[in-house]
Amino acid sequence: MQRQTAAANVNGAGTAPVIAIENLVHRYGDVEVLHGIDLTVGAGEIFGFLGHNGAGKTTTIHVLTTLIVPASGSARVCGFDVVEERLGVQRNIGYLPENVRLYDSLTAAENLRFFAQLSGVEDITEAIDETLGILECRELADRRLSTFSKGMRQRIGIAQAILHRPRVLFLDEPTSGLDPMGVRQLRDTIVRLNSELGITIFMNTHLLSEVARVCTTIGVLAEGVLIYNDSLERTLERFPDEASLEDIYVRLDDQ
Amino acid sequence: MSATALIARQQLRLLSRSHTFLLMLVVLLGMTALSGFIGWSSHATILRVYDETVRTLTAAGKPAPPNPFAYKPRLSLLNNMTIYVPLIGALLAIVIGNMSITGDRQAGVTGIIFSRPVRRSSYFWGKVAGSAVAGAAIMIACLLLSVVGLTLINQGPPTMPELVRLTLFYALSGLYLLLFALIGLVAALLTSSRSLGLFAAVAVWALITFATPQFTSGLRPVASLNPVTDTSSISHSAFFRITSKTKPLAVNEQYKALSTRLLSQGNDVLHTGLGTSAAQLAPVLFFVALLGAWANRLIARHDFSDETARD
Repeated sequence: MQRQTAAANVNGAGTAPVIAIENLVHRYGDVEVLHGIDLTVGAGEIFGFLGHNGAGKTTTIHVLTTLIVPASGSARVCGFDVVEERLGVQRNIGYLPENVRLYDSLTAAENLRFFAQLSGVEDITEAIDETLGILECRELADRRLSTFSKGMRQRIGIAQAILHRPRVLFLDEPTSGLDPMGVRQLRDTIVRLNSELGITIFMNTHLLSEVARVCTTIGVLAEGVLIYNDSLERTLERFPDEASLEDIYVRLDDQ
Repeated sequence: MSATALIARQQLRLLSRSHTFLLMLVVLLGMTALSGFIGWSSHATILRVYDETVRTLTAAGKPAPPNPFAYKPRLSLLNNMTIYVPLIGALLAIVIGNMSITGDRQAGVTGIIFSRPVRRSSYFWGKVAGSAVAGAAIMIACLLLSVVGLTLINQGPPTMPELVRLTLFYALSGLYLLLFALIGLVAALLTSSRSLGLFAAVAVWALITFATPQFTSGLRPVASLNPVTDTSSISHSAFFRITSKTKPLAVNEQYKALSTRLLSQGNDVLHTGLGTSAAQLAPVLFFVALLGAWANRLIARHDFSDETARD
């Protein structure tokens, strides 16, 4: 398989891309960490972005969430350019960074109120109640985060990211530090957000087992180069000899 | 509500839940409440010594001189505040400025904030506004405590001119606190951990409070602790010629000199010496503006995508 060849739209006819990246390059000082990525993610997909530590996955998310400006190339989210039309991007995305703690000294509802206000949500009380209902954690609303487990924090973290009903949700290693039950709950949550709210999900992760169960499309990044991008279904068809996604990932990485 | 107001309000909410901040606030308010009593106590001791001296002189058949302390301005009882504000107040302000940045960093939310429709300038002004409001609230609390203390000690409320001078003193102190809040904020932006940011800011505080006066007003070696006024003559040696020129840089000295004038001189300080007051206020304003501009530039260029909770 040739590098970058799978970067064309793999999302099927009639699915408008909500994320479109063209020849994206980024450098930290003199070190180039993204070497011209081309990638599209269609509306309604759950996209799993795979790769080693330091491959450039988080940097890609930072570009797409307008946190950093790329050195060159372009990226559009929901039709808005991440550099020229940041406000348009920011109004349409939710973001959960890796290892987010949120404000320990505040209650879950106080945390959510702050982020709802920043996002310009109109009926904040209703939005918080509805979102916590979707995530099945209304009982956490009035508790301080300092008393929360990692899994509880992660749910409130997702709540802040979807309060304003974004079209695209970016999750950076969302299962990091979660116990098996927490991982399972998060997986169910992701699937529900996608199916019930229609949110497109872009997820960086290491957990290939979860990718296999949740994602509709995958992309593999190696040292700043997108080496693979296709639907999960076609991926499994393409590698009939491999027993699992992990085996496929290892084979792709070796290539 | 604008993003600036939201950021400021969030900062105030976090401060109100911070044990470190609340503990230091209690210490400052406690010292403020005590300062009037301490001033009154020392004044009463001096008067008792004078009375004792008068009795001794009268018994010896000698004339007693008039009491030189009888007409001491009543606000001078609060002179200790010109020490407490640069010592305790400034450290409290450093905590405010440091927490304004490290609070978000510890929570790991800076990335979330800047993925929302929030401009960097709004974030900067929100942090400055939050720090300024916190400082103003603390100074208003100190003002009220001082008024209560003076009323109890003098068995009557302060006069209107005294109230104006007291308000001006606390307004000046609020500005001085803002300077240190900005030092705390800048130090937090320049360092990666909370403790390192606090250490750097405290080092600058020590430099301003204790070291700079020695290089800018060497004739006043106790000036770092006591609000004494200038001595009448200046040595003509090269060192003192240079340090007398750099004196305006000693922002701590300028604050204390102006504060002492507001508290220790009569009401005529409001009508005369405006030029001197402006000259003493200018360095504080200059450094606040300078640090504000620096903080704004740092926030505009800072990589908030790489913010993770440390220590």
